[in-house]
Amino acid sequence: MTNGVLVVGYGNALRTDDGLGRHAAERLADDPRLDGVTVIGRQQLTPDLALDVSRACLVVFVDASHGPPAGSFTIERMERTGTRATAWSHQLSPSSLVALARELYGEAPDVFLVSVGVKSLDLGDRLSPVVEATLPRLVDAVADLVADRAVRDGTMPVADNDCA
Amino acid sequence: MRNQIVIDPITRIEGHSKITIHLDDAGEVTDAQFHVTQFRGFERIVQGRPIHEMPSIMARICGICPVSHLVASSKACDEILAVEPPPTGADLRRVMNLAQIVQSNALSFFHLSSPDLLFGFDADPAKRNIIGVAQANPGLARDGVGVRRFGQQIIEWLGGKRIHPAWVVPGGVDAPLSAETRDRILSTIPEAVAAIERALAWYKSSLVRWEDEAAAFGDIRTAFMGLVDQAGNVDYYDGLLRVMDAEGRLLADRIDPRSYQEYLGETVEPWSYLKSTYWKVLGYPDGIYRVGPLARVIVAAQMGTPRADLELDEFRRRLGRVPSSSFHYHYARLIDTLYAAERIDELLRGPEILSPRVRAFAEINRNEGIGVSEAPRGTLIHHYRVNDDGIVEWANLVIATGHNNLAMNRSVRQVAKRYVKSAKLSEPMLNRVEAVIRCFDPCLSCSTHALGEMALQLQLIGPDGAVLDELVR
Repeated sequence: MTNGVLVVGYGNALRTDDGLGRHAAERLADDPRLDGVTVIGRQQLTPDLALDVSRACLVVFVDASHGPPAGSFTIERMERTGTRATAWSHQLSPSSLVALARELYGEAPDVFLVSVGVKSLDLGDRLSPVVEATLPRLVDAVADLVADRAVRDGTMPVADNDCA
Repeated sequence: MRNQIVIDPITRIEGHSKITIHLDDAGEVTDAQFHVTQFRGFERIVQGRPIHEMPSIMARICGICPVSHLVASSKACDEILAVEPPPTGADLRRVMNLAQIVQSNALSFFHLSSPDLLFGFDADPAKRNIIGVAQANPGLARDGVGVRRFGQQIIEWLGGKRIHPAWVVPGGVDAPLSAETRDRILSTIPEAVAAIERALAWYKSSLVRWEDEAAAFGDIRTAFMGLVDQAGNVDYYDGLLRVMDAEGRLLADRIDPRSYQEYLGETVEPWSYLKSTYWKVLGYPDGIYRVGPLARVIVAAQMGTPRADLELDEFRRRLGRVPSSSFHYHYARLIDTLYAAERIDELLRGPEILSPRVRAFAEINRNEGIGVSEAPRGTLIHHYRVNDDGIVEWANLVIATGHNNLAMNRSVRQVAKRYVKSAKLSEPMLNRVEAVIRCFDPCLSCSTHALGEMALQLQLIGPDGAVLDELVR
């Protein structure tokens, strides 16, 4: 484990709010509060990310969701469960990706899921206004999440991306 | 009386689709259809967009093969600008396109198909997945991660960032290659080649196990199409179209792919959003052909790199010059991947690869452009028409999965006829019907990514439309 912090925003940027994670990743990558944090934007989670996940001490997944009301979001810690099989190996869920990392590399980080409620999944490369308006708060929340972790542990200077 | 089995959606392929299997009164399969149920509206949404935006928009169509769309789109834009990228710019595009071939092929073989190949089609679906592979054969699974990561990293290192690597642009590429990046990529190639060769050795050692399976796994007589260079070897970036029939005879050779409309017809069936293409001379649906890794290794004289050529020779000794079973896409895909890794090495060692001359600039000089390249799944065509201000007025995308649509339907029918018996549904039957589709690695991901996990639904529907039986997993 190299003990970095990894943020993965994912979704289809041509399906309006489905691409929320990608839009968030762009903003997070440019945010100075997250200097040193690895930010990845992907259309979907794929198995090659297992190595990145295994090398992190903290992973934050940012994705669109049908769960919360449009424009609001939830942050949940993902439970450390056993290996979870999936029928969809081309497009892994966060839990399957973490399970794969654990199986292959023996390491699995703390994981948080940031789920943002969607309004539209139509074709289009722009977020709906209500979801777009959420992005600044979302970026703040992710930055706080990473910083809080650093403060709590007292061992993770975010600028160095090191929580060892 | 007609009964119908519906498999909806199919698992472990990109995007959303389903299969319907039609039964007669005796419960025998009479027909099967592969449906793509997600509407692809990208040809419409690009209308009104400036041409210089097209590559980056097109790259977002697909999460698995964004570079393929990026390359084909940029080539179409080159035509509209009436420019030819400098040789180094073209070579750097080749490197990125080959990296795309590697990472996509790795996903298909290691992560989507290896569970079937490792555990067998009758195995418990609870373990027949990538997590199961990681537990049973961690070396194979790690190689899968490593090979896909190898391709993905090249794309990201060349693109300069991990969010939107739109480095391929009209006229060439956006920035020259640094010596540091070249050396970094070169340092990763030996392990990637070794991992691909380990996978080839493992696959070949188990090939005999699948002989019977392969005989009814999309074992159909079709033509094959792919791009070849002047020497007749594979060419993933440029080249001319070659079409070979099931006997190995050339139906057409050295066709400028920009004249595709003279040779390829397109049709849409009412039961699917996916267009089917066919070879016009033979008509619809007799003009069935296949593209992708199997077609590439069949139509080419040689691959053109040392290790891949040795593997191709062995492939032909084992299976003949024109193997007809779609099962052999897996084998061909590994040779395809090996070639790509070797060719990346060759290109990066070229004397001019660090040249700063990587892009040509121009205004709108034509109103129409066609870009063609080989994507992981086969020949990809982007065709645009623009007005004098460079605004897109019309676009047509001919994707590899469309080329293969007729063959996929025929393959599904063959598998269903062998394995589906009456209304007695079983998981192995279901998996085989899906697996023959996965041989083609169809890419339908130009849809919303799954919000939540999708279940697999299998329905048996009676003549009155009632659901007689249903399986969900």
